[in-house]
Amino acid sequence: MIRAIGAAVLAMATLAGGRADVQAQAVALTGGLVYPISSEPVEGGTVLFVDGRIAAVGVDVDIPAGAEVVDVTGSVVMPGIIDAMSYYGIAGEDMNEVPNPLTPELRIIEAFAPFGTFGSGEAGEIRVRELLSGGVTATYIGPGDATVVGGQGAVVKTAGARFDDLIVREPAAIDITLGGRPASTYREQSRSPSTRMAVVAQLRDLLVRTQEWMATSDAADAGPRNLGMEALARMLRGEIPARVQANATRDIRVAIELAEEFGFELVIDAGAGAHQMRDELADRGIPVVLGPISHPYISGEEIPDPGDYGGVDERNAVWLNEAGVHVSLASFSRGFGRFGPGVAGQWLLIDASIARGHGMSEADVLRAVTLNPAEVLGVADRLGSLEAGKDADLVVFDGDPLSIRTWATRVYVGGQLVYEREN
Amino acid sequence: MRFTLCKVELTHGVLAALVGGLAPAVVTTAARAQEAPVALVGARIHTAAGPAIENGTIVFADGVITALGAGVAPPAGAEVVDVSGMVIMPGMLDNHSHIGADSRDLNEFPVRFGPQHRIRDVLSPDDAFWKGAVKGGVTTVITGPGSGEVSSGQAIVIKTWGESIDERVVKERGGLKIAMGRKRPDQSPTTSMAVTAMLRAKFIEAQEYQARWDAWEEGGQEGPAPPRDLAMEAVVRVLTGEDRIRAHVHQAHDILAIIRLSQEFDFSLAIHHSTEAYKVADDIAEAGIDVVGMPLFTRIALADEVMATGTLMNEKGVRFTFHTDDPVVGSKWQRGNAGLGIRYGMTEQDALEAVTINPAAIAGVEDRVGSLEVGKDADIVVLNGTWYEVSTLVTRVYVNGMVAYDREGEVP
Repeated sequence: MIRAIGAAVLAMATLAGGRADVQAQAVALTGGLVYPISSEPVEGGTVLFVDGRIAAVGVDVDIPAGAEVVDVTGSVVMPGIIDAMSYYGIAGEDMNEVPNPLTPELRIIEAFAPFGTFGSGEAGEIRVRELLSGGVTATYIGPGDATVVGGQGAVVKTAGARFDDLIVREPAAIDITLGGRPASTYREQSRSPSTRMAVVAQLRDLLVRTQEWMATSDAADAGPRNLGMEALARMLRGEIPARVQANATRDIRVAIELAEEFGFELVIDAGAGAHQMRDELADRGIPVVLGPISHPYISGEEIPDPGDYGGVDERNAVWLNEAGVHVSLASFSRGFGRFGPGVAGQWLLIDASIARGHGMSEADVLRAVTLNPAEVLGVADRLGSLEAGKDADLVVFDGDPLSIRTWATRVYVGGQLVYEREN
Repeated sequence: MRFTLCKVELTHGVLAALVGGLAPAVVTTAARAQEAPVALVGARIHTAAGPAIENGTIVFADGVITALGAGVAPPAGAEVVDVSGMVIMPGMLDNHSHIGADSRDLNEFPVRFGPQHRIRDVLSPDDAFWKGAVKGGVTTVITGPGSGEVSSGQAIVIKTWGESIDERVVKERGGLKIAMGRKRPDQSPTTSMAVTAMLRAKFIEAQEYQARWDAWEEGGQEGPAPPRDLAMEAVVRVLTGEDRIRAHVHQAHDILAIIRLSQEFDFSLAIHHSTEAYKVADDIAEAGIDVVGMPLFTRIALADEVMATGTLMNEKGVRFTFHTDDPVVGSKWQRGNAGLGIRYGMTEQDALEAVTINPAAIAGVEDRVGSLEVGKDADIVVLNGTWYEVSTLVTRVYVNGMVAYDREGEVP
């Protein structure tokens, strides 16, 4: 029956001479335990999506004639996992423009290569199988953390027919790093900024120059163009946030001070010491994209430097969440099996499980890898929850999504089945 | 840098207190031996020596397990601890770790062949990371030098908790580390071929070294003794079976090369990391060597075949254990490795043995640790749920019958 309907849809597509994915295509996942994230779980629920968008979620959903019906009884259906920080698909040598500590004009999307390593894989639609196996359907990618202002990040999906289909938001933020990491980059080269003080001074100076530039060239639309200033002006006008990587409390403090001084929207990245400032972060409404807890993310270094890294704790997410801080869990992973300081991206739910074990509720934990990242990335109108009108990016798990034994068995991106696993 | 960590903690904590005239009792006088017998009552007990015991009791005294079973009554005078609803498993082992040492002390890079180096000489008792291992339920580790050289030295079998480094040592001979495969290009050997050739030459040199000593002994020790060579002494211990080789090896051809050497020189071998072991599983099974293998918890993205190494090795009858390579992954996630093993097809019992009795047997300390059995060390982990789930917390850890970690006392 299902096969017959599928064949009919395919035949229609063929007759129309177009690709199947642009034809009216309805899929109904029935019988599963549905976690919409934006609302209470639904047992025995149906998720219906048409033309790549979610049409309905609930128990009594009218399934249109001709829809492909997939019985997922016994499984869990939830929105695709969103990794709020990774370097996925970025070659190591493309992560940091080390010769210049301040490069707001750089765009990570121009280094993004989701096609697999040279000479491997098969031709066809783009599938980042490694991430899809963990149910990850979107990720933020940004420049690395070895310099002060790395450039502009983007939100991308992990599957799509063409490269442009992958891009959800670009630029999505300006990536900035405070603390010992950029200082050590330039200290090794005996050049500035080789101290925390100089890192902050150079950043502040750049923001002052941007204000001046905005007041003259940008405002009058008359002066010579400056790509870096244009990018920073977007940040200062509040169109995109600053993603500031800061682990130690002193660096988080500096980030807050700069955000106040220049009036930009601030997101704290990594945040190993953020729990020590949780009340202040909650009061100010500053979200945190937390580094992985299954391996201590240490800003590119293997072993914690206590000067930079006072008090990593597996309960970080729990404490921040309890205090009312907007928390996302992120992998900070490198792509293609690269041995990086973060965890491998497909295992983000393992970090979520650890937070669950320490007392964060199931609802809050799952939110921290779906809707919260969507919100912090500015894409919650399209991603992060199962709601009518949103992109049909969703995962079917064969059990409790927080059990280490559970597998993603079906992953849909834009309504297309892009990953399937039989167990 | 770990050393720095300790130094800073001391500077900020202890020294500040001293300067302020408020010297705390820095040296605590922890009880060196368990005093009264303890009975843990009511838990589901995974012994790693047989099927799980429901509603079991485990009794230990003087640091050793004295009784274990479903119908065991606590002895008179015992401290009875109600752990009903909880889960108990043996203290885990991690057969490949660098815990306790500053990472800068792991490789003497200018010396390409340095079997004389001993990890024992650089172990810090203060290393904060020991605590992480204890909290994670890892009570014994085989910690050793790095993999930057063809041989970087001698590992040691040691508990993660105790009064002093010396008291914590379970077995001095934790294996001689060698590292197969390509090396840094600044100094020979750099290719896999040359590394294997150097090893072959060194084993022959050790045979000749031993022959000189044997000749001197057999000749009634006449004349001056041959000059001692600390490096050769370490290799000779491998040739005589007093110690074994722990070989860092990733690629299949290097696995075959080290198996060849083990047969040529008749030494006992465990391969470590073993990334491509799945490609030569039959060769490994036939050679009867041990595998310390992948994954490294969530740290590296690996192909499914690599993630399922444990499943395949068990099918082939090869003794297998996971590792954390601490600090690559914190020792405390050894339990997570087992969880991933189950995810990729291992039975719960095989995965349990792969973090308990198997690493103990590979290290040659299975008479003392690695399972819960009468007469063995009371190294016991209490958990609040399914032992292999990462959402399950370790709530209490006993080492030698003493409480080494207690979550109640720690929260928040």
